[in-house]
Order: sequence, then structure tokens, then C-alpha cells
Amino acid sequence: MASTDIEYKSSSTPPPPAGVDYFKVHVILRFLLLAASVVALGVIVSSDQTELVLFQGTLVPQPAKFQHSPAFVYFVAAFSVSGLYALVSALASIAVIQQPEFKLKFLLNFIFWDTLILGIIASATGAAGTVAYIGLKGNSHVGWIKVCNVYDKFCRHLAGSIAVALFGSIITVLLIWLSAFTIYSRVPK
Amino acid sequence: MEGQRKGSFNVMEESEGNGKGWRGSVVRTCDLVLRLLAFLLTLVAAVVIGADKQTATVPIKLVESMPPLYVPVAAKWHYLSAFVYFVGANAMACAYATLSLLLSIGNRRKWMETVITVLDTLMVALLFSSNGAAIAVGLLGLQGNSHVHWNKVCNMFGKFCDQVAASLFISLLGSITFLLLLLLPQLFRLKQTT
Repeated sequence: MASTDIEYKSSSTPPPPAGVDYFKVHVILRFLLLAASVVALGVIVSSDQTELVLFQGTLVPQPAKFQHSPAFVYFVAAFSVSGLYALVSALASIAVIQQPEFKLKFLLNFIFWDTLILGIIASATGAAGTVAYIGLKGNSHVGWIKVCNVYDKFCRHLAGSIAVALFGSIITVLLIWLSAFTIYSRVPK
Repeated sequence: MEGQRKGSFNVMEESEGNGKGWRGSVVRTCDLVLRLLAFLLTLVAAVVIGADKQTATVPIKLVESMPPLYVPVAAKWHYLSAFVYFVGANAMACAYATLSLLLSIGNRRKWMETVITVLDTLMVALLFSSNGAAIAVGLLGLQGNSHVHWNKVCNMFGKFCDQVAASLFISLLGSITFLLLLLLPQLFRLKQTT
């Protein structure tokens, strides 16, 4: 503890209590979030399907793509942002493990950006989930027909992608809990 | 070592104690005000969409020779499952805001703060997902979707759509308040340690 003795003698800002050090868990969770974002993106982008549909008397091939709905476009954009953020913050966590003097600054940044990303990801999951649900069940009150009986591969891809997105949101919630718990354990009580 | 340790933490110990000094009281008033604001916003959002109902008459032509039949069609919020989820999420957030407001008025112990932070993050996730869902469905009602032949409904039910839009905006403000509630205590706590 020679370094702490020197700090006390020079009477600079006292070091915070050691607290619990969970930055390794941060790295693991962030790489998991990156994986979840990439998988969700890959599955929804590869979901194109063309089917022969009876339209005005003739059978016409009609494609179903994710670009057809603004909710899915927002979903793809949100998870691209989330994947990029997960990569950058995972690398930042690895850097902080090597150089521990930046831990407090990084914790504050992490909790701020994690909360923003949680908001974006959760709203994207909700939006894509609800449009996919209407596609699955239809809505008789507004006259919106269900489409998943015709476009089965498209709907399966959507379902998988939204499930992975939900997993990604849970990972982000765990990350926020981790950062908050680390901050609590550093406050002298 | 003991004396040195106490000396170095002197600044922080002075600001601790029951009310944690002036900084602690600023944090507490900020927290209480934000919780009250969150309670009000989520309550208003749930009520505005819950009291939303509009009836319009639609002319339906059955047979060419006869004049069209005028059928009254109603638009209620519970016809769309996304709006049901929206009202449920806002009601839950409102109830949680009341509960945590009552808990915070007393003195908060350490385990209570962890529980409140845990539930705060869950509320942020829930509220944002319900906002996303309701906005997506609202957009579908506004623009329709030509690729799947889902017709827009807001041309017929203008007042209904306007009220939904107002409620969505208020709920978005409520979600941002919950987000601030999650962030500000951590910021103040970190400022305390540095």
C-alpha cells in the first residue's frame, strides 16, 4: 500500500474505497450485447420472402422485406447503433482494466450511455414486436389482415430477431445494474 | 494509520450524517420533484388515451341500386393491443412512482436505494418499449402500409388520432423523466466521491 501512503502524505484528493471491481463482467456482458445486436441484425436483414399472392384476380409475386415497414427500419438502425456502442464500450472496458485510474470517469460515462442505449433498444424491440404481432394475428377492428400465414419464413425471421433483441435489452439492464452497484459500493457510508 | 485515514475522509464525513449536508438535500429534493413529475406525466398519459373514443359513420354500399347504408363505426383504444400495453405500462409506472415517492419521503436506507435503482431501470425499459410500440401502431394508423394492404384510419378518426398523439408525447416526457431519475442520483453520488 505504498502508493496510498504517498497520496495521504501529499494530501491530494483521498482515494475512494476500493469497492467491488466488476469490470471483467462488464467486458463479458458488452461482448454479449455486441453478439446479440449482430445476430438480431443479421436475422432481420436476411428475412426477404417473395410469395405468389392473389391480387385483383391474378397471381402476382409480392415480396415481403423489412424495409416495407418503418418500425423494422428503426429496429435495424437502433441495433446498428447498439452494436457499435457495445463494441466501443467493450474495448473501453478492456482499456480501463489495464489502466485503473480512469475507472470512475468511465463508470459515469457507461451508466449514462447504457441508459440511453436501453431506451433506444427497448423502444425498437417494442415497435418491431407490435408490428410483427399485428402481422401475426391481424386486427379485425381496423381491418388489418394477418400476413404471417402467407409469409411464413419472413415472420419466423422476425420472431427470432425480436427474441434476440429482447435478450439484448435484458443484457443492457444488467449492465446498468452492474454500474449502479459499483458506484454504490464506492460511496463511503 | 487510523488517524491519517480519518483525516483524509474528514471532508466527506462532515457532509455525511443524517441529511448529508446541503448537497444531500439538493439530491433529495431533486429526486422527489422528479418522482412527482414522473407520476403526473404517466398518469396524464394513461388517462388521456384511456378516455379516448370516437364514433364515425361509414357509408357502405351493399347493392348498386339502393342508397348506401350508414353504419356507425367506433374507435376505442382497447381495440389495439399495443395501446392496451401502453396503458398498462403507464399505469404500472404511475403506481411505482407513487410507491417510491412515499418511500423516499422518509429516510432511505441503503438496501432500499438498491431496490429503487433496480426497479427504476426496469421501469425505464418498460416505458420506452411501450412508447415504441404505441408510436409504431400510431404511425400505421396514420400512414397505413400499402405493401400489406393495411389501410390508414386517421383520416376517418381524426380526433382519436390527435388524442393518441398527445398522450404519446406526454408519455415520452414521462419516460425521459424516469431516465433522469435513474441517472441523476448516480451522478451526484460519483461527485461525492471525487
